[in-house]
Amino acid sequence: MRRRNIIAALVLLVIGLGYGVLTSQLPTRSLPDTPGPPFFPWINTIVILSLSATLLLQGLVGAGGSTPSFAGARCRTTWALGAFVVYLMVLPGLGFIVSTAPFFAALMILFGELRLLRVAVGAILATLFLYLLFRHGFGVFLPAGLLKGIVP
Amino acid sequence: MSPDVLAGIAQASGFFVLLTTAVGVFIGLTVGMIPGMTISTGIIVLLPVTFVLPADISIALLLGLYVGGMTGGSFSAVLLNIPGTPSASATALDGYPLSVNGEAGRALGIAITSSFIGGIISFLCLLFIAPLLAEVALSFRTEDMFALVFFGLTIICSFASQSLVKGLLSGVIGLAIVTIGQDPVMGTQRFTFGEVNLIGGIHFLTAMIGLFAIPQLVSNLADAAGGTARIQTKLKSVLPHLRDLKAIRVPVTIGSLTGAFLGILPGAGGPIAAFISYDYTRRISKHREEFGKGAVEGVAAPESANNAVTGGALIPMMTLGIPGDPVTAILIGALIIHGLAPGPLMFTERGDFAFGLIFSFFWANIFNFIIALTALRVLVKLLAAPRSLLMPTVAVLCVIGSFALRNNFFDVYVMLFFGLVGLAMRWLDMPVVPLLLALVLGVPLEENLRVALTSSQGDISIFFSSPIALTFLALSALSIIWSLRAAWLRQRASPPSPKESSP
Repeated sequence: MRRRNIIAALVLLVIGLGYGVLTSQLPTRSLPDTPGPPFFPWINTIVILSLSATLLLQGLVGAGGSTPSFAGARCRTTWALGAFVVYLMVLPGLGFIVSTAPFFAALMILFGELRLLRVAVGAILATLFLYLLFRHGFGVFLPAGLLKGIVP
Repeated sequence: MSPDVLAGIAQASGFFVLLTTAVGVFIGLTVGMIPGMTISTGIIVLLPVTFVLPADISIALLLGLYVGGMTGGSFSAVLLNIPGTPSASATALDGYPLSVNGEAGRALGIAITSSFIGGIISFLCLLFIAPLLAEVALSFRTEDMFALVFFGLTIICSFASQSLVKGLLSGVIGLAIVTIGQDPVMGTQRFTFGEVNLIGGIHFLTAMIGLFAIPQLVSNLADAAGGTARIQTKLKSVLPHLRDLKAIRVPVTIGSLTGAFLGILPGAGGPIAAFISYDYTRRISKHREEFGKGAVEGVAAPESANNAVTGGALIPMMTLGIPGDPVTAILIGALIIHGLAPGPLMFTERGDFAFGLIFSFFWANIFNFIIALTALRVLVKLLAAPRSLLMPTVAVLCVIGSFALRNNFFDVYVMLFFGLVGLAMRWLDMPVVPLLLALVLGVPLEENLRVALTSSQGDISIFFSSPIALTFLALSALSIIWSLRAAWLRQRASPPSPKESSP
């Protein structure tokens, strides 16, 4: 856990410094003796840097240790996140139905469903159901994409 | 009776509102029951639906889910020894032994009845305390509001279970995120990098969907092999016997009052109320040796407490705009979407809606009791729902939810970004709830701070000259000191870890 604390502290120190640099570039227009737009970001910067330094210190001296709460299924997680990223990239162009059905099927397999017929039927039916429910039931303009003019 | 109260009763008792409340309860019972699904996740997946529904129906749906979810958590706690929600953890202590002894129906009947009584008592607290508190809060000035919001933020400390520093860091990152977009006082653009979509800031519901749902999906992947849960017992009679009702009188009273009170305090929440009432009931019991082996009082006290928390938590949310837990934070977001900002003005400007919300909460408890008792056998079968179908649906609903907010793919990418942030935070053992609360409270915190300082021309003594502000600041200091003390005691109690654990 110490190493994670050090990693977290270093990442947050970088974020805090970057945030501070960006804050210094904010316009400072305000009335005299009154806080302007950078006022609150400066407070955040100081607090982030102070707390990150404290966390780094804790990591270096070994305090603040705890049981990691997240482990396992790294391969499945990577595949799922990869599928998610690809899905979001193709969704606007291909449309909801064409992109969601394979994504849904991929997730079903990753969640342990290995019967391919069930995967195919489940993915297609669930996608169509969600599309029709939200597009026509609730008026959410999900993109039709490639199937524009084919699906209602 | 005030016209607002009558209008509220009429609003909450309309056919479609009642129907939606019942649907919300059913979904809540289902979501709460399924291990791996939380009430927050359930509300997140329902959010896109609420965007297109009228405000009264949306809030009835979400309240139904909130109330039903609390009770649903006890089903899997009793039947599987896996609490469906953290609030049901204490219920499993005696509920599961009852189930093992072939008395699952009895345990569930007691849980449902106790939840109902706890919910109704908290409804009464909400009905009578909320309007009074809102009236008091109307007299608050900006410095008082700043101190109040600051106090609300110190509940971050109570969510920082492992490391106070990490909890505070998570909170301040949330405060940094809310500075993206136009500044709330002068309208100056900050950290937008010329991106039009960032001018309005990052919508906290989008961030929240990513922060909660994506890590939840990933953690469910870890034990995806089994796919379904195995139910250990068949249910006999669910209706509680008269002797059981007599036995649970005192525990239910303790649980209901403890839950309603702790619900009002930001950050205390269902799990704490459930364990405190369980422990107190055990202490005063004449047969405390039966606790942990299947005592009905051990089911009644925590179940009444966690449902009583729901009404209590709605009090600061409605009257002060301060969320007590993630669910009420989401409810604030849902109200804001419909142009209804929770806070003291809600009772004066939209009193009908405020009382409508309170009476929807009442109906949610009624439906919760009826649906849970009558549909228990059907609901329990849903425990065997294949996760391979459920979790992909949740993933797609996350995408639809973030897209539907503004019909914009930018929000979907923001959702995914926050999902990755949530995963990173989980890996680094940083709590995400402080970040969420900061996203909700960040804007009023900055706005009140700057307006107060502007009115005093930069003199910070303004926060110490107002008795209300001073009181809240003192409470904030106490809250932080208490958390520091708890962290220190924890550190002393736990043995030092000599080696680095594997990443």
